Amino acid sequence: MGKIKSQIMYNLKKDKGSYISFGIVVLITAIMLNLAFVLMFQVDKAYDKKFGELNTASINVTVPKFQNTDTLINDIKALNGVTDAESREAVFAEAVVKDFRATDFSMNTLFYNKDEYRNMNRLDIKEEKAEIAENSIYLPLYVASFGEFGLDDEIVYEIGNTKYTFKVSGVAEEMQYGNYGKGLMGAYLPEKVYEKFANEYSEQTVVEYSIITSGDINALQNDISDLLEEKGIAMITSCDRISTKDTRTMVCNLIILVLSAFAMIILLVSVFLCKFRISNSIEEDMVNMGVLKALGYTGGMIIAGVILPYLMVTVFASMLGVAVSYGILPSLGELLTLQAGFSFGLVFDIKGLICVVTILAVIVAFFTYTAAKRIRKLQPINAIRGNGEGKSAKKNYFPLDETNGKTKMLLVLKQTFSNGKQNILLFGVSFVLTILVAFASTMFYNVIIEPDNFISTLSEEMPQIIVSPNEQYEETVSDELKSNSEIKSILKYTVGTINIEDTPVTIFACEDFGRVSNDLCYLGENPNEKDEIALGSAFEGKYNIGDSIEIQNGDISCSYEVTGFVQSVNYQGNVCEFSLEGYEGLNSEKLVPTLYVYLNNAADTEKIVKEIEDNYGDKIISVMNYQKMTETTQEMYSGITSVIVVVIFILTILIVLFVLYIVIKTLLVQQKQELGIYKAIGYSNKQLMVQMIGSFLPSSVAAVLLSSVLGLIYVPQINQFIFQTIGAIKNNMEVSFVFLMIFALVQITANLIISILLTKPIKKISAYALIKEN
Amino acid sequence: MINKKMPVFAANQAFFKDATISSVLFTPCKQVLVADTLENSYNETIKSNGGKAVTMKEILISAKNLKKEFCTGETSQTIFENLDIDIYKGDFTIIMGASGAGKSTLMYSLSGMDRPTNGSIVFSDEEITKYNDDELAVFRRKNCGFVFQQIYLLEKMSLMDNVLTAGALCSDNKKEVIERAKELFELVNIPEITQKKFSTQVSGGEAQRAGIVRAVINKPSVVFADEPTGALNSNNSAAVLNVFTKLHREGQSIIMVTHDKKTALRGNRVLYVRDGQIFGDCALGNYVESDNERERKLDEFLTEMGW
Repeated sequence: MGKIKSQIMYNLKKDKGSYISFGIVVLITAIMLNLAFVLMFQVDKAYDKKFGELNTASINVTVPKFQNTDTLINDIKALNGVTDAESREAVFAEAVVKDFRATDFSMNTLFYNKDEYRNMNRLDIKEEKAEIAENSIYLPLYVASFGEFGLDDEIVYEIGNTKYTFKVSGVAEEMQYGNYGKGLMGAYLPEKVYEKFANEYSEQTVVEYSIITSGDINALQNDISDLLEEKGIAMITSCDRISTKDTRTMVCNLIILVLSAFAMIILLVSVFLCKFRISNSIEEDMVNMGVLKALGYTGGMIIAGVILPYLMVTVFASMLGVAVSYGILPSLGELLTLQAGFSFGLVFDIKGLICVVTILAVIVAFFTYTAAKRIRKLQPINAIRGNGEGKSAKKNYFPLDETNGKTKMLLVLKQTFSNGKQNILLFGVSFVLTILVAFASTMFYNVIIEPDNFISTLSEEMPQIIVSPNEQYEETVSDELKSNSEIKSILKYTVGTINIEDTPVTIFACEDFGRVSNDLCYLGENPNEKDEIALGSAFEGKYNIGDSIEIQNGDISCSYEVTGFVQSVNYQGNVCEFSLEGYEGLNSEKLVPTLYVYLNNAADTEKIVKEIEDNYGDKIISVMNYQKMTETTQEMYSGITSVIVVVIFILTILIVLFVLYIVIKTLLVQQKQELGIYKAIGYSNKQLMVQMIGSFLPSSVAAVLLSSVLGLIYVPQINQFIFQTIGAIKNNMEVSFVFLMIFALVQITANLIISILLTKPIKKISAYALIKEN
Repeated sequence: MINKKMPVFAANQAFFKDATISSVLFTPCKQVLVADTLENSYNETIKSNGGKAVTMKEILISAKNLKKEFCTGETSQTIFENLDIDIYKGDFTIIMGASGAGKSTLMYSLSGMDRPTNGSIVFSDEEITKYNDDELAVFRRKNCGFVFQQIYLLEKMSLMDNVLTAGALCSDNKKEVIERAKELFELVNIPEITQKKFSTQVSGGEAQRAGIVRAVINKPSVVFADEPTGALNSNNSAAVLNVFTKLHREGQSIIMVTHDKKTALRGNRVLYVRDGQIFGDCALGNYVESDNERERKLDEFLTEMGW
């Protein structure tokens, strides 16, 4: 080490700027990688730890209290694989939470007695008031934090026609439900409040069985279903550990995926950079290397002297990156807590540090070695004479006397072709980075410019207003609304829950799917006839289009033909579609569908909602400004997307800056004498800057434009991959060519400005000094 | 030209002995009458003075009160100070001096390649010391050609491309530039096949001759040559010097730095730099091969200068 120390120091000093640029790119990579690793190592573990601490059940099923039997608990305990089981009562309600993030949020809720002893599914009370009010409620962390409810705030649950106002007296963490993605939430009432509430909803009281198993969850679920079917007991809800965890950690996994992908792309750039720098520094230092070899240094020692500075920078920058990432982790943790519904402190993880440093160091070592290994073959005398390799051009591109065209233009072309390596580097880096920009610009377009594309991918049917009429006024309200000139159309639409194969499934029933605005059906067709059904993506594979499926709802059983498959981000694919008539066949009582109202002008929504409230009063149960809810959701996503787009863009520009810095620095060093000669014979600074920029900018411009055009092909595939992981098999994201081009132009302009700024040092170089130095 | 602060040496007297008119040497006007041999008849006007033919020479470069100082950290080194010099059109001026005397620094200052610390340089009526870098670049491309000891051809280009790269600066007529380049290559005896080679693929002499072609492609007022034969063997040196002589005979003004006596013989005027001043100025007359008298005169001059 001592023998090559001076070499290392010489390299580090000689190329400070390039090492700093390389270090910053590695630092950015390390930040992203460590964030991904810490999330990967800790969130899952924290989830399982919390799950264990609260002794959460593997499976929770609810059955109607009136169907429950005293012996059921023992029957369940007797099932194969069950290690423990307990039961408790709760009230199940299809509720709407008012003013949830400034909108109304439809949420199936199980109201529990908070004070009842729980061995399983314990609650971890995060904060609570000392005094309990007569309408106190303890909210799950997700509802409190995402819905923006604090202690002492009021929360209104609308159940049917009744609004219940509770006072938030505490926030509890639980691992049973967690977030909205499961379509089911808990709410915890102090004993007295619960008793009063349960009395009012005795018909909706359910018994929940919490079951712990050490065996196969799916097999046990089937056994439970068989058991309940055998006993003629309906299953109202069912949650299992695996699907709940998937739902709650979905965003976290998505972030890990995106961070890892981005880190890999940036790592690729940094690898390009160090390879480029090494092959250039070999050419620059050929004579020195020859002298060292002549003095008795071995090829290995010289290679080590070239590689080690990069490795040292990599190790230092990656450790620094890991340290910096811990500054970002708390905010990221908070964001994830909001979505995952449980809190976890992300702490220093030595495994993350080791992984980041090792991965980066190994990759950089590999690529630097492949770039530097040719030093071994360098013959000292050839190197000293400057005959080593590479320095002299091998081909005279565009001979000026034989090629048509202006000499100055041909000079740019000559330089472009003579500096092939740097142009390949810039092409590769620009192409890869443009993928990020194209993805970001498409997100920007679909979330901010055309938000319907994004929202419709994530949500179900989106009218402007949802009206729930009273049974006897359904037709009247519907007819009168239809005659309103400001209303474009009315659609009878119902959302409910049934069991398919003992799995609770959310249903969407509509009078005419031909008129819906959603595009949920990704395969086959929506159901039109009363004996048709479209199943959720969770059933794809089990059924094919054209298959017949028998569905039972209580005592009624109907057979349907599968016409297609629909997606749902919110219900993990556990959804299905019926025609209204078809769904009515499954219900003994007459269905009163909600009326989905579509306006000519969405801006009038607030006014029309007010009109409906004023005009229909008792004729309706509720009217919901769905447009507002959509806008709230959209605002949330717009905020996140804007941040992502800005971050990606800044990162891209930063990386382009560092890459251009290294390329231009290399060119300035390599061509110092050449520039001096040009200056001596009368070329001006401006001419030389234009010539230099002209020699490398076309390759990056070509890469940006090509990558942007190809974005029309690969961005939909990236979107498809990302949205598929969250359940949206078909997404409505559009790739706007114009937008891709706008972002490409911005990127090209940034490249140009950076290039001009970076080539400015040419001005400071005097022709005389350049010649004197050599 | 002798600096007023300096003693008049024998060498100068020898110089004056050959001169037809010597008193005009110090005339600070643009057009002066200088002593010269009659062969040097390419200058603008020939006037009669006491029955003898005299040549009226035109000052091409006039430097006044020049100072050049190099600063390295806290230390500074003065290369020359209060230096005045005139360079005449059509002259093949040789600058000699010991190593480190500031010969090259003086030459590059006069060419606008380097900036003097103080003083003014008027080059063809233009005060180039006032120019910024880009103005100097434009000035150089129109007025100066450079030939370097290390040749400094652009390595990624053929000899022809090197020449055309310079040629493109002053003419948009590419065809004309190519024609001139070919003529010049012929003049310096570089065949077409060699013109297409890179500088690394030809001999030093060929490369240097291509360097001369590049220097004169734009018909500069002056060719500045910094020890152009310093890195060449004797055969190649002679070939290169012959090219310079040929150019000079065709009227090209040349300023050349050298410490080689044989090379210096090619000039018609020799300036000797010592102690930061023009220590001596010797008029040799135009180059004639095997002219022992010129050689003797130069020997005497150099001996006087302490060479």
